[in-house]
Amino acid sequence: MKTRPFILESLLAALLVALLSGCAATSQRQSSNASPAVTGQAKRDGKPVKPQGDEVDEYATASVADPLEPLNRAIFWLNDQIYTFVVRPISKTYDTVFPGPVRTGVYNVFDNVDFPIRFVNDALQGNFKRAGQEGEKFLVNTVGGAGGIVRLSDRFPELCNVPAADTGQTFAKWGIGHGIYLVLPILGPKSLRDTVGLAGDYALDPVTWLTLYVNHAWTLAISCPDGVRTLHGKLSTYDAATHNTLDRYLAARTAYIQNRKHAALK
Amino acid sequence: MTLRLLLLSLTPLILLSGTASASTDAAEKLLHSAVAEVMDATSHAPNSAALAVSVRPILEKYVSFDSMTRRAVGPGWRQFTVDQQKQATRLFTTLIIRTYSSKFTPGEIPTIKFRSAVSPVTGRVEVPTTVLYHGNYDDVTYRLEDEGGWRITDMVVEGVSLIANYRPQFDEQFKQGGVKAVIDSLSRSVSSQH
Repeated sequence: MKTRPFILESLLAALLVALLSGCAATSQRQSSNASPAVTGQAKRDGKPVKPQGDEVDEYATASVADPLEPLNRAIFWLNDQIYTFVVRPISKTYDTVFPGPVRTGVYNVFDNVDFPIRFVNDALQGNFKRAGQEGEKFLVNTVGGAGGIVRLSDRFPELCNVPAADTGQTFAKWGIGHGIYLVLPILGPKSLRDTVGLAGDYALDPVTWLTLYVNHAWTLAISCPDGVRTLHGKLSTYDAATHNTLDRYLAARTAYIQNRKHAALK
Repeated sequence: MTLRLLLLSLTPLILLSGTASASTDAAEKLLHSAVAEVMDATSHAPNSAALAVSVRPILEKYVSFDSMTRRAVGPGWRQFTVDQQKQATRLFTTLIIRTYSSKFTPGEIPTIKFRSAVSPVTGRVEVPTTVLYHGNYDDVTYRLEDEGGWRITDMVVEGVSLIANYRPQFDEQFKQGGVKAVIDSLSRSVSSQH
């Protein structure tokens, strides 16, 4: 029954990839490095010299095409209300009802289950060393960590800090630009490229595979903890990006674009 | 003779690497002191409000807020009077200190691993670090500049530069209402809870 929407999603994803390819060149032109520019400057001791007097223009800002800004701003506002009145209370209740070790265990299990997303994308990026590390992590945590409840891999220096790969990041490594900036309902800041990437992550997520074969009650029972476990971290990131700012929308957009660029360079 | 020529030709390279190393050493030393003092304040602060108060003098000693404000505001900075520049710097300093101190939980110290510093241009050093805090690893790069003494001029957390993040916000305010709009928006943000 559920294979049909899945096929539709895949077709939509393929269409968006085609659209993205067209947007890539534009986006590449508009996106710029957040690092201070050091080209075209005088040199001393073989190194560019820090410019004096006009350094105010050095900090190029990370930008992205945002032709839907009025609509995006409206969805951003709506999301803010949903976060305040729905998502935060759910996250708070979850944090209150379940003790820390239970929450950590739930988080770890689903994080371990997400292994194919990271593994396949590492391989698609040609980063086979990291794919191997992901494989080791999965093995160590599944076997030694009681099905992933305990993240035993944290005890191994080479496995404790493996950057997580995703499909949007893979598209970035393939040279596909962001396309346009979007604010998705509830999910928040995304680019067109990363929205397509979400469909890829969804297809690679074993939780999705499982929910294809179980009834609605089981789908809810499996998907809810998977969603709720990440709320605390996501809300903290959202707050860090939007507090103490002059324009919360612009702050979230710039932080998102800079952060995704960094993720693609890892 | 050949050996002497080789040594002579290598001398500038040796001197050059020595200079770069000396500058990164001085910058790294300053950063280590700044981080140690902030960690000490974090471990002793009873709550977040107290932490923000106790880190202020430390950050004022090590961070160049003048430079950060000038760069965050961008080209429009030249249209500020000296008094307006001072006012904007004072307000922006408060925002930055609040943003920075909010990243720490009083009493909980992160584990920081300093990686090799690089000097992309003369007078500027970047020190990449990996921070383990609350079970998460984050890349944090500190940018320092020689302004007659090394000072921290930017902090980049997981690719997000403080300065680059504020620049479009200042640009937008400037476009809407010039210097007054920038200062008003800073005042509003400083007086709001978040």
